[in-house]
Amino acid sequence: MKKSNTNRLGWILLSPSLFILGVAGLAPFFYVIYVGTHSWNIFSKERGKVFVGVQNYRDLVFDSAFLGTLSRTLFFSFLVVSIELILGFMLALSLMKDFRGKTFFRTVYVLPVVVAPIAVGATWRLMMAQGHGPVPFFLNKFFGWEFNTGASTTQAWIAIVLMDVWHWTPFVTLTLLAGLLAIPREPIEAASVDGANTFQMYRFLIIPMLLPVILITVFIRVMDSLRSMEDVYMLTNGGPGSSTTFVGLHIFRTVFAKQEYGYGSSMSLLVLYFTIVICWLLFNALTGKESKKK
Amino acid sequence: MLNTRKRRSLALASVISSLALVLSGCSSSSDSGSASGDDAWFASAAEKLECKGKTIKGVTENTPPGQYVKSDIIPAFEKATGMKVDLETTSWDEMYSKAINDMEAKTGIYDFVYIEQDIIYQYLKNDYLANISKEIANNPDLKAPSFDFAKFTSFINDFKNADGDVFGIPMEAFVKVYLYRTDLFNDPANKEAFKAKYKRDLVPATNYKEYQDIADFFTAYGKDKELWGTTVQAVTGHPASFYELFESILPTNGVYNWGISKNFKASAAAGGSMNSKAAKDAFAFWVGLLKDAPPESKQSTWTEVGTTFAAGRAAQGWVYGENVAWIATDAAKSKVVGKVGVALPPLGNPQVLADSKSGAGYLGYYDGGAFGVPASSKNITCSVLFQQYQGQESVQAKWAAAGSRIVMDSTYNDPIVQAQDEKTNGYYTFMKDQGSLFRGAPAFPFHTSVREVVAPFIYDAIAGKISTSDALDKAAKAADAEMKKLGY
Repeated sequence: MKKSNTNRLGWILLSPSLFILGVAGLAPFFYVIYVGTHSWNIFSKERGKVFVGVQNYRDLVFDSAFLGTLSRTLFFSFLVVSIELILGFMLALSLMKDFRGKTFFRTVYVLPVVVAPIAVGATWRLMMAQGHGPVPFFLNKFFGWEFNTGASTTQAWIAIVLMDVWHWTPFVTLTLLAGLLAIPREPIEAASVDGANTFQMYRFLIIPMLLPVILITVFIRVMDSLRSMEDVYMLTNGGPGSSTTFVGLHIFRTVFAKQEYGYGSSMSLLVLYFTIVICWLLFNALTGKESKKK
Repeated sequence: MLNTRKRRSLALASVISSLALVLSGCSSSSDSGSASGDDAWFASAAEKLECKGKTIKGVTENTPPGQYVKSDIIPAFEKATGMKVDLETTSWDEMYSKAINDMEAKTGIYDFVYIEQDIIYQYLKNDYLANISKEIANNPDLKAPSFDFAKFTSFINDFKNADGDVFGIPMEAFVKVYLYRTDLFNDPANKEAFKAKYKRDLVPATNYKEYQDIADFFTAYGKDKELWGTTVQAVTGHPASFYELFESILPTNGVYNWGISKNFKASAAAGGSMNSKAAKDAFAFWVGLLKDAPPESKQSTWTEVGTTFAAGRAAQGWVYGENVAWIATDAAKSKVVGKVGVALPPLGNPQVLADSKSGAGYLGYYDGGAFGVPASSKNITCSVLFQQYQGQESVQAKWAAAGSRIVMDSTYNDPIVQAQDEKTNGYYTFMKDQGSLFRGAPAFPFHTSVREVVAPFIYDAIAGKISTSDALDKAAKAADAEMKKLGY
């Protein structure tokens, strides 16, 4: 009886959160699933939603534009997450040590994290714009380089990778720093007494103990980078050509420019599926070895 | 503690800043009254129609004409009627996205939206808009004596349905002109050098070859002067490049209506002309101009083309008319004030001029738009009241001078416009006399959908990933597939 009352109270206390989750989270998700099974282009001859089952998904498998953006996004994600992880880890290690102006540096360093991606994109665009941007101007003045993100695919990629790394490395640093600070000192001291060198300590102690934090950080960054849209939209608009058109921007254009709500919804769901699969593969790749040992 | 000198300085600074604030307030209030109309009637109508105190919300593109509505017409209307008008001026794509999503979902957020001439056919097909003619006809209290549909140019016909009812009150209309630098073209040394090299006079080009020569000449001339031979609206990832190609360049070589036939076919093999030889030649010519264009060209929409020209970085180019007035007259924004001339665009095929005169074709883009009232608006009557205010003859001249747009024939004769005409080397006269040779977008109900499938191939050709010929072949195929998919 007592247990039943406690359960009821628990559900009552949970109900506002569940209600908000249902309205703001689950309802739109199920609506996207519903729309994804329809052909709904407001400019087609026949107006309104027409049920097409899984036809949108069949079309997606042969849609070279979509597949192109998807592979581009995966490559971008792999590139930026790898760089951010390495840089973030090195910076987290350096922040473990005391040095003059550390607090000030840490504050300034994390500022990009709180800037909205659209503002980051706008700022970088102003810096990189031909004609009045300082970056092309100084690169040309001092090195004679022509830096034009509107004309060169390589330079556009350099620009967006740099922008993403600048924006998100501080986040990686912060999470890894928190993980490093939480590692108990005793095993490290014991290893040191036993004669372990620095590489062995990192290889067999610090990194394995940091693995849960690394995993969470990688998951968050992979999911974020797969959704990259606003900052890239501002900086390169997906160009030159379609060389920096990532899947988020492609979906945005399908839904908002072409007004193809059904097809766009199916794309969103497929990308969600890919994201889950990638995270699952990553999880297994990073933890599988340890599990086998156990 | 501040010393006496610092305190005095601070006091002086605060007095000066207060005075500046007061003066700026005075100036803005006087500006707000610059749009004049039959204010007394609108004040009484707002009372009678219970619009006083209400807020109507609109969305338009952030262009010189749109900015004028916000800075001058709306304050004057608000002052006269006691209504509030909340107008969002935003980027072109954002504006469309907001307006279409609102009208499709019938949320009723907007009480008026900018309708560009090219998209009206989609809106009418989808019953997005309120019938302004009927709203006025059915409510005698709403008919403003100072407003008359008949005063608009024939451009208003683009916003009518088959029954002749009006669904949008024109607020801007202009042509995309061939703009050139008169100071450079009239410079004796340039004239002499050009003649020595090309064996003809340095005058605005009438065909592709002449245009290319002039572009080459000024690119070489401007090598150390931050000057290039031409503008090119060649941004990739934004439809602006699609529009310059399909609405300004292809028509000059006889490819009209985007190369889509009356039975909705784009491929040459199926009866269209999107990938015809004429289209491919014109596209190759246009992409070829990029070597004579400033480096920002591949990031330039219509706005950046205007700013590039105003910055004195190009000798000639296709420039939207809405930018001509400020480029030619606003010294605060433009380095080429008093140094621009307008001409007909160069043609790839001389037959185009005859086609344009006979009405069988056109040689450039006649752009414009109107304010329409979404059928989903909850304030249709009050919004129509505002549309009539901005559609009064008396508010047109200053608006035309600020935004180089004309929607009424009578505006051409206004002294304000005539004075501006002189400063722009005859842009307004050009529009009046030659405007009929230009035309708006074809009446396609699938405008956006086809544009979106074709544009990526254009972007890839600009980026050099595929040839211009391949791009048009693929574009035509994609357009045919899209039209079929949409049921046409």
